[in-house]
Amino acid sequence: MNEASIIVCRCEEVTLEQIRETIRQHGCSARETKLRTRAGMGICGGRICRPLLDRLAIKPGGDFPSELPLKVQPPVRPVSFTDWGQS
Amino acid sequence: MNTFYDLIVVGAGPAGLAAACSAAQAGLKVLLLDEFMKPGGRLLGQLHQEPGGAWWNGIREAELLVLGARNAGAHIQTGVSVTGLNRTSDNSWTIWTNQGCYHAPFVLLATGAAESANPLPGWTLPGVMSIGAAQVMTNVQRVRVGNRGVVIGMSVLAMAIVSELRLAGINLAAIVLPPGNALSGNASDPEAVLGSLLRFADLAPSAMLKYGAKLLQSSMLRKLALTFFPKQGIRMLDVPLQLRRCAIEIVGRDAVEGVLIADVTARGEPIAGSERIVEADFVCIAGGLYPLAELAAVAGCPFRYVPELGGHVPVHGENMQTPLPGLYVAGNITGVESAKVAIAQGTVAGLSIAINAAAKKAPGEAEVKDAMAQVKRTRSEALIQFHPDIARSRAKLYQTEIV
Repeated sequence: MNEASIIVCRCEEVTLEQIRETIRQHGCSARETKLRTRAGMGICGGRICRPLLDRLAIKPGGDFPSELPLKVQPPVRPVSFTDWGQS
Repeated sequence: MNTFYDLIVVGAGPAGLAAACSAAQAGLKVLLLDEFMKPGGRLLGQLHQEPGGAWWNGIREAELLVLGARNAGAHIQTGVSVTGLNRTSDNSWTIWTNQGCYHAPFVLLATGAAESANPLPGWTLPGVMSIGAAQVMTNVQRVRVGNRGVVIGMSVLAMAIVSELRLAGINLAAIVLPPGNALSGNASDPEAVLGSLLRFADLAPSAMLKYGAKLLQSSMLRKLALTFFPKQGIRMLDVPLQLRRCAIEIVGRDAVEGVLIADVTARGEPIAGSERIVEADFVCIAGGLYPLAELAAVAGCPFRYVPELGGHVPVHGENMQTPLPGLYVAGNITGVESAKVAIAQGTVAGLSIAINAAAKKAPGEAEVKDAMAQVKRTRSEALIQFHPDIARSRAKLYQTEIV
């Protein structure tokens, strides 16, 4: 399977190959993978690829790895500046 | 907006509605917020036949819960998107929405789950959607999703939605496995998929799946069954269920035109030379669900990664309380399970909040214990076990014993 042709983060157009290669090279966590590749940093706020990044970066096994979840920033839903300002 | 509320519930699905009802009955002033125009959450899309033959009509179930919550005195406001949540110095929570701020000492997050994707080449083409999107378009918006579709991924949820799409007269050309890659895991392994489908064999309309289920409990027989599984699949609701075929790529120039599929070995490896294109104008990707817990994260709640429950879940006890004062969770945000379990959890959350808030008609501890036992009972009787190890994972999370 050609991993270069599979886009994982649609907003930032990061491929499965780029993410896997980054994890392999740096042995990094989901958060570090995000910072290195920009996967999950696009306009959707990581809503689509966040669970995929977790799946790729978290090593299986162990009781509830205390892995830091990828950071979530408000607003967690798209909202216009007008509405945001009124709050 | 200046009204004072004891409890604000985010999400008017089965968990949120049940919680609003039990908390309001105990005498709390409750506001229930939901971003959709109608309360009910994902219940609104559910329609399936239970083993006894009775129909589970989610729209009807939602109406009953809404009636219950309203009669108990809860206010329901729809079309409100909650965008942020933080604790303020006066020991109350501030809830940020697209329509101003709300404040309350107690907050229950009942935000449910979201679908996760299972990417393959071409999945960004117009016409590709998650299977849940097809469900909402069909059962909630009443829009025809397309003329001929292919479903990629086989799970309990996917099969339930396939049956709904068929009821609505939507044409499906095939249900195939996702391609094996670093993201698909067990979802592209025919034996694992067959095993998971057999867990809900009572629901399977295909006689072979139904009566073959007991026979196929042994792994050896499953392997044998896969070896002889017809390449063109077994027809389920007039749709070929193709356990021996996988999608390789979704093709099309400006939109979906078809799916390149290939035969796979009993172990899920594509067989070279067997590729061909199935024409389709829409594709549904069934990639599973994960707890939608963004608000718990921005509030600062700690998390645990529990794959059996769908991913990262906010830390919480069996009484649905998180480590943050006044913050509770219930329903699929705590782990992916059926709507009936969500309703039972919502009742627990509503009751334990009422106790903590010293509500006028607060229940006794015994009532909360009963409600917690009801959650376990509902879970063990659930028709659809989303994951075989849910009870064990929950027990570990709550550090209690499995019933």
